[in-house]
Amino acid sequence: MLKLKNVSKSFYKNTPNENQVFKDLNFEVEDGDFVTIVGSNGAGKSTLLNLIAGVYPVDSGSIMIDDVDVTSYPEFKRSKFIGRVFQNPLLGTAPSMTIDENLSIAYSKGAGLSLKMGLNKKNRDLFKEKLAELGLGLENRMKTKVGLLSGGQRQALTLLMATFAKPNLLLLDEHTAALDPRTANIINEITNKIISENNLTTLMVTHNLEHALEYGNRIIMMHQGRIVLDLKDEKKNLTVQKLLKMFNEVNGSDFVDDRVMLA
Amino acid sequence: MSFAISTLEQGLVYGIMALGVYISFKIINFADLTVEGSFTLGAAVTAKLITSGVNPIFSIIVSFLAGGLAGLVTGFLNTKLKITELLAGILTMTALYSINLRIMGKSNIPMLNNKSILDYFSFAGNYRNILFFGLIMIFLVLLTNYFLQTRTGFALRATGNNQQMVRSMGINTNTTITLGLIISNAYIALAGSLVSQYQGFADAGMGIGTLVAGLASVIIGEVLFRERNILWAVISAVVGSIVYRGAIAVALTIGFNPTDLKLLTAILVVIALSLPGLKKIVISSN
Ligand SMILES: Nc1ncnc2c1ncn2[C@@H]1O[C@H](COP(=O)(O)OP(=O)(O)OP(=O)(O)O)[C@@H](O)[C@H]1O
Ligand SMILES: [Mg+2]
Repeated sequence: MLKLKNVSKSFYKNTPNENQVFKDLNFEVEDGDFVTIVGSNGAGKSTLLNLIAGVYPVDSGSIMIDDVDVTSYPEFKRSKFIGRVFQNPLLGTAPSMTIDENLSIAYSKGAGLSLKMGLNKKNRDLFKEKLAELGLGLENRMKTKVGLLSGGQRQALTLLMATFAKPNLLLLDEHTAALDPRTANIINEITNKIISENNLTTLMVTHNLEHALEYGNRIIMMHQGRIVLDLKDEKKNLTVQKLLKMFNEVNGSDFVDDRVMLA
Repeated sequence: MSFAISTLEQGLVYGIMALGVYISFKIINFADLTVEGSFTLGAAVTAKLITSGVNPIFSIIVSFLAGGLAGLVTGFLNTKLKITELLAGILTMTALYSINLRIMGKSNIPMLNNKSILDYFSFAGNYRNILFFGLIMIFLVLLTNYFLQTRTGFALRATGNNQQMVRSMGINTNTTITLGLIISNAYIALAGSLVSQYQGFADAGMGIGTLVAGLASVIIGEVLFRERNILWAVISAVVGSIVYRGAIAVALTIGFNPTDLKLLTAILVVIALSLPGLKKIVISSN
């Protein structure tokens, strides 16, 4: 469903600071895959997600989502296919708007701008129900401004918003990294529940190797702009130790990640 | 009594401009300097049309649309040509200075001898202006409040908060920014149109200082009403405008020169922005 063909990307092209992140990268994801992505710092994980989401254009190559060539689509147009949650809990919501107003924007995603009222009894009932499923009590605070919520609550809300319209593809970039471990676990559980209930095709970047193995049906490991490991069926029997050993074998060097969590 | 009446009249009519400033500076979070040009544009178009014998209502509508067009230009410069927001506004404002003079043909057009929209309300005697400005303000507050509760209104408000989020929700932020500027400058030109009819003339320099005055009104409103929903936020810009005009009237009666007022207003805004507590309120709410 997602197909990257010969994708190249450099930053600061044609300057002394030129930094080629990807050179002829090929990557495919099948419908329903839940891919976890791990890799060393600066490997290009975030850049990969940003290229798919259209935050910046590719230098060459093509990106297809569900057989639609989206290579030339600006970010807002690709959002039709994509739901995103960022590492920074501040990026996913509008802080001075209330919870229900934020949800309304997600609810009317793809419907275009109109002069219909953003909130009505029907969609507020739906929001209440969906918020209740998060199990965080947010359904009783629908009129609270999102800026007053904790990072974890905002991240849960962002997740709900990103998946409200059942995106073809869900992109998660270390979306629990800014949270304390307990909250991170709660958000991870919610994430997993939403993904499996809706059977969402997902790419999830994480620094937690345990989580990377626990969640999803496929794992890829990136290093310096290349996908150095890509495991699907073997994934079930992997352990963190085995994974690190495999990385070392294919790469000839140790896996370096200053934020990696082994426990 | 007449002191109170004229303060209220001015507060209401300039309150329309404050609403426009509120929409650009607060709703879409765009520091738009087009204001001084589009305010005068509204007055220039109205003066030209009314003195040419055109019906005041039609003149007001044309002024409103002209203001929207000015906003569209600033939006285009910023979102399509990627000119920074401050510069985009300054460019439009500067260009409008020449355009306004072209429209008027001279730097000042008196129109005391022509029928203005206010003449339709002569039956209200001394309360003529208050009645008309009050009615139009009630209409605009309700309209603005309604608009900001629609899906498009939500998109505009979110744009002022978090453009990344708006784009990931499939909305083109170039569109929302430009739309916000169109509405804002249409309101401001409407204010310019009504002010020119109220004072009986249009002048090429009448926009000078309006931006800071509008900003002062919005800030005063924010300080007066802290926790607020959108309706109250909209109302507070208008109340801020009335309080601001009251403060100006007081400054004049205690002996300040009318020419000192812009300095006083600027100082007021600086003080407001430099008090840490206030700054937080002013920046974090919309
Ligand atoms: N917007 C940008 N402008 C310039 N360079 C960038 C930009 N985004 C990423 N890079 C560069 O691209 C390379 C890959 O960065 P990227 O953020 O994709 O790595 P990552 O795998 O997500 O790393 P981390 O684990 O630290 O998040 C780095 O060298 C980085 O400096
Ligand atoms: Mg990253």
